[in-house]
Amino acid sequence: MNELASIFNIGLLQNTLRTATPVVLAALGCLFTDHTGMMNIGVDGMMLVGAFAAVMGSWIFGSWVAGLLFALIFSLLLGLFYGVFVIKFKSDEFIIGVALNIFAGGLTTFLLRTLTGQSGTFHAEGGLSTIPRLSAEWLNGIPVIGPLLNDNTVLVYVSWALVIISYLLIYKTPLGFWLRASGEHPDSLRSAGRSPAAMQYLASLVCGMLAGLAGAHLSLGYLSTFSENMTNSRGFIAVACVIFGRAHPVKAFLAALLFGFIDALGMRLQSFQISSALTSMLPYIGTVVMMVLLVLRENAKKKKLAK
Amino acid sequence: MKKQGNLQYLLSLTVSVFAALVLGGVIMWLSGFNPIEGYQLMFSGAFGTQRALANTLAKAATLCLTGMATAIAAQAGVFNCGGEGQLYLGAMASAYVGARLTGVSPWIALPICLAAAILAGALYALIPAVLKVKLKVDEVITTIMMNTAAIYFCSYLANGPLRTTEKGISSGTDAIDPAFMFDKLVKRSNLTESIFITIAIALLAWYILKKTTVGYQMKLTGQNRRFALFSGIKANKLAIWSMLASGAICGLVGMFEIFGLHKRFIESVSNDFYFDGMLVAMIMRYNPLGIILMSLFFGAMKIGGANMELNANIPSSLIVIIQSIIIFFMAAEQGVMKMIRAKRAQRKAALTLRKGDAA
Repeated sequence: MNELASIFNIGLLQNTLRTATPVVLAALGCLFTDHTGMMNIGVDGMMLVGAFAAVMGSWIFGSWVAGLLFALIFSLLLGLFYGVFVIKFKSDEFIIGVALNIFAGGLTTFLLRTLTGQSGTFHAEGGLSTIPRLSAEWLNGIPVIGPLLNDNTVLVYVSWALVIISYLLIYKTPLGFWLRASGEHPDSLRSAGRSPAAMQYLASLVCGMLAGLAGAHLSLGYLSTFSENMTNSRGFIAVACVIFGRAHPVKAFLAALLFGFIDALGMRLQSFQISSALTSMLPYIGTVVMMVLLVLRENAKKKKLAK
Repeated sequence: MKKQGNLQYLLSLTVSVFAALVLGGVIMWLSGFNPIEGYQLMFSGAFGTQRALANTLAKAATLCLTGMATAIAAQAGVFNCGGEGQLYLGAMASAYVGARLTGVSPWIALPICLAAAILAGALYALIPAVLKVKLKVDEVITTIMMNTAAIYFCSYLANGPLRTTEKGISSGTDAIDPAFMFDKLVKRSNLTESIFITIAIALLAWYILKKTTVGYQMKLTGQNRRFALFSGIKANKLAIWSMLASGAICGLVGMFEIFGLHKRFIESVSNDFYFDGMLVAMIMRYNPLGIILMSLFFGAMKIGGANMELNANIPSSLIVIIQSIIIFFMAAEQGVMKMIRAKRAQRKAALTLRKGDAA
């Protein structure tokens, strides 16, 4: 019993935040495209490119700021790329998403080998400049909340701010209204003199940028290396969080935290001689279960309404 | 009309492939490699010797099967992105059964191993299929999640409860009886007797999709679910059965890898084989005959790419880049053509309108 209790401690919650943040950022990105009527399953590939670009930037210039900038530039390009294909060329968004993921896998592997001569996992001599942690001694005085708020990487705080900003932007500003209208009633938006395509482009760019930040946090915040296919389908978990949170930033954030909690719990279980392969399954099974529960709950609600 | 569409499609495809190869050459050149040498190595690596040709055929067989698996599900309106997981489970199930049946006559053991692979793949595909049909849970996400889960699960088995006690083997299950292994058709190549089963499955899939009522119903369901329901097609049942078939084929691919090459389940049994096949199927718009032909081309590129990496140090992941560029071109072409057609129709309508005014 004591052992069980020792699983649930502050460390678990801290790990929850750490593992959830890439998913939070990617989910926020997906949410923008979702509102404009595009389900972007290519976000996983965008994350991977972001993670790679961040490590390369940090390695070449010796600074995490350069890493972040690199990640932003490349993921913005991918966002634009996605937009041009889906909006301009009217390609099937599912096919473009799948192709983008495969392309990102090939591109990062190719570049890792040609640029650094390494393969698999990147080892930088002398280490990489990683995203710094912010800490304030006085925060630790507050029980539970204090240590949680303290000592996280900059991007964790940025992601929290972005949740609030996204909420305000989508639901409280005219721009957000146009964004949502471009997905739900594109014709009304058009007759109001606004271009739905412009909104979709904007959403694609924002999605790319946030996915890039998510990747950067993965490779320069959460870990400090790049390895081939390191996103491990986290982008798809982000898409699931958007579905789960019905494209609402706060709800999607909570869903991502739940995912992070399951992931952190799995890592904690490894110290109890449970195989890491088994515990690594947890977030993926958890996501499927979450999606099923969501539908069951909605069906129950509908039944209640029908009565 | 349809014939013309096909011709135009073939033309676009040829142009896309050619353009992607040129772009691939530019990437090689920018990375400091010699593109002509690269493509020469790719060509000789794929076709240069009898063994190379055999390897190309073996690769094409895998791509053809995974491509068919994608197409069968997609034709019925289900996007099975979970073939990788189904492949792993099929490989694991058949390897486990194959090792347990050591000493039994191959005539009895092999059908049981085949059944194990088919069942494992099909049942794993059944879960997302039922979730989609009964609860409308998005199958793209569930199948992707289940891929990772299955790969971790097999890794757990191969390093844990089912790990072999054989000396010198650090990870993997017990070896199957050598008598169960498929014979190689060309010495030291990857081409085994399983190619015959592959050909049979490919032809069967082509026949069902193109020549039977079920295939036609699947196509209708995939194109317009509501219309299909109105015409009395049991769309849900079709979706479930096509996912079962899709999963079964993926399970078989897993078994062919084990019984053709590895002798035991190993963690690296597949390297995104399913997604490679999925690309093939998407480029050919789920057309069975097209998938067979395109998998030959993609198979050659994969095998040739390995040779390119070995001899000129050009990373074989370049092949993945070229292949995804092809699909980008094709996906854009579909939309652009639609746009051009719509514009043309608009112009025509405007013209007739003006003529009407004049009269």
